[in-house]
Amino acid sequence: MEKKKGMSLLQKQSRAGWIFLAPATLMIAVMSFWPMISAFITSLKTGSSANMQWASPIFYNYTRMFADQLFLRSVGNTFLYLAIQVPIMLVLAILLAQLLNNKDLKLKGFFRTCVFLPCATALVSYSLIFKSLFATEGLINTILVNLGILSSNYNFLGNPASAKAVIIIALIWRWTGYNMVFYLAGLQNIEYSVYEAAKIDGANGWKTFWGITVPLLKPTIIMTFIMSINGTLQLFDESINLTNGGPAFSTITMSHYIYNNTFGTGVANFGYATAMAFFVFIMVGVLALINMKVGDTRD
Amino acid sequence: MKKKLISMLLAGTMVLSLAACGGGGSTGGDAGDGEDAGAAEMGTSDDENTLTVAAWDPNFNIPALEAAAADYKENVNPDFVLDIKEQGGSQDVETAITTAASSGKYETLPDMVLFQDHWIQKYVADYPDAWQDVNDIDINWDDFYAEKLDYSTIDGVPVDGGTVIMAYRVDLLQEADYTIDDMKGITWEKFIEVGKAVKEKTGKALLCMNSDGNDLMYMMLQAEGVSQFKDGKPYIVGNDKLKEIVELVVQMVKDEILLLPNSWSDYTDKAIQGDQVAGVMNGNWIIPTIQAVEANSGKWEITTMPTLTGEEGYASNGGSSLYITANCKKVDLAKDFLAYTFGKSTVTYDNALKDGGVVSTYIPAGESEVYNEGVAFFNDTPIYAQISEMGSHVQTIEQSPYHYTCREKLGAAVINIVGGADIDEELKNAEDQLNFEMGN
Repeated sequence: MEKKKGMSLLQKQSRAGWIFLAPATLMIAVMSFWPMISAFITSLKTGSSANMQWASPIFYNYTRMFADQLFLRSVGNTFLYLAIQVPIMLVLAILLAQLLNNKDLKLKGFFRTCVFLPCATALVSYSLIFKSLFATEGLINTILVNLGILSSNYNFLGNPASAKAVIIIALIWRWTGYNMVFYLAGLQNIEYSVYEAAKIDGANGWKTFWGITVPLLKPTIIMTFIMSINGTLQLFDESINLTNGGPAFSTITMSHYIYNNTFGTGVANFGYATAMAFFVFIMVGVLALINMKVGDTRD
Repeated sequence: MKKKLISMLLAGTMVLSLAACGGGGSTGGDAGDGEDAGAAEMGTSDDENTLTVAAWDPNFNIPALEAAAADYKENVNPDFVLDIKEQGGSQDVETAITTAASSGKYETLPDMVLFQDHWIQKYVADYPDAWQDVNDIDINWDDFYAEKLDYSTIDGVPVDGGTVIMAYRVDLLQEADYTIDDMKGITWEKFIEVGKAVKEKTGKALLCMNSDGNDLMYMMLQAEGVSQFKDGKPYIVGNDKLKEIVELVVQMVKDEILLLPNSWSDYTDKAIQGDQVAGVMNGNWIIPTIQAVEANSGKWEITTMPTLTGEEGYASNGGSSLYITANCKKVDLAKDFLAYTFGKSTVTYDNALKDGGVVSTYIPAGESEVYNEGVAFFNDTPIYAQISEMGSHVQTIEQSPYHYTCREKLGAAVINIVGGADIDEELKNAEDQLNFEMGN
């Protein structure tokens, strides 16, 4: 009692603050941090999930994945999607944003909604729609054959190269509008007077784009890059629903392969799967870090 | 103000109608009625005469279980209740075992589960504590196909078999001047010859399989009496029969005799039911899929598989059995139920066939009247007696917990070889990857 009386106002406030923070902190610790620690422990174990043993050597699961041809292939596939899809998508998004930011454009709201709408579709349903579009008897084949571009129906999802292309096309369709919205918001923050000044100085559209729009949008571009990289590395729905990883594992992504090692193909390799998940986690972290360093404008 | 009111009304209706959707699902589905499939909670019942069982196909194995329950209730125990916990698919039962065993909470399991034959070895090896062996059950095992009993390392009671049928569209064969008898006991080379003729005359493929055709290799190999495994190790490199079969499959794909739709639903809905093929080869559980197209009634007939040497080929693919789980407290009741129904009752098997098209692996069942009736869809031939007879010839080959892993790798190899890769290299890769996953 004596002590409590002696508490200063600052101490009292600080105590109240901690009490307010405690429930949320506790929840995060229990719901988020503890599972992470527990997952890391799992990643150091092997064997049947009913009776898991410590791996020997302890990092066996981590070294094993570098000898796993299928895992390496899934990493390769994911990075291929990343390298092709992300730049195309972001360039398209920025161009569309630029177009739709035009002050004189009519029905602006309508067009913006149209471009954004794909984001409102669920991942599984849009994957299934693309699957039927690109089926051997699907719409795309019918159109291409009728236009005389193809002589007979082509099995897009049954051939490694075209199946990958279909996944990339689907991803671009699904995510371009999403990124465009960020750019639109960014563009709206650029004062129109800056453009006017450029115009007076005689800069054409191309020059204004590179000289004003891109530098001023830099923070937004970096953010969309990080989000896209993060999203692509965790790509799952498209791989599992559009192609089921096939043909011959040529379109399987890392997350899909991890899933296959838990419940996907009935082999409950929880230790190995969590180890691979941690590897993906590290990769996302490293890539985000590089991105932030590259985009850092402070000197 | 008006605008606000209208939007409130609209939002209100939407929320209400959506809520109604959600509510409809749970009120519409009586216990085990199928509406709530997948969500059906497992677990056991406190009632001493009630057994719970997990199964998944309302058009196939669930009618068979219902037939057994009715039979047992009528002839043995009038208070008996079989509570069928319907699941969305066989993989849900597998996941239930995995989660129960991983968490040690076996009380989430039902008394019995229907389990796929090709998976049971793996699950017994991984989760030995999830099962109860019933080796003292009162069943004469000699009455079942030896091959069927060989799948499991613990005793389960067979429900349906996977005896392979080779079904042909006789009307399409005829267009190419062949009959169903011409297709009996032929070599694969002859099959390809017929396939080319049928393709030329009708434009249809003579065979189909889903995705990469991976089940084909297993079936074709079993018809030769050879396995993909030897002494617990993969037997792919140096397996001449397997290499010959892979070569044949690749050739059939290139000649467009073998159609490989991209997914299972494309295989059943487009290839088979969409009239794209003149032949289907798979476990006899594929029959209901074929029969779904009523317009084709009378046009199909079945016979044995081709082989490399031209003998009649017999194989088995798929099928399932009932197993008692660790959570079953009424083991005696469960054993008695299984022994009486799927262990020896032709009444159960007759009704299972009539209601669900489930063909048994119990040899005496094939002699019953129901099995010997002609089936109109198959040109009035008694196909079930035929299948039952074919099942008894299937050779026992080495089974492995890694059946599906092997199937996956071989399928990938076929796709790569069709794409131009070297066969020996691809088979070597498949074996290496299989060894890697098996930890060899």
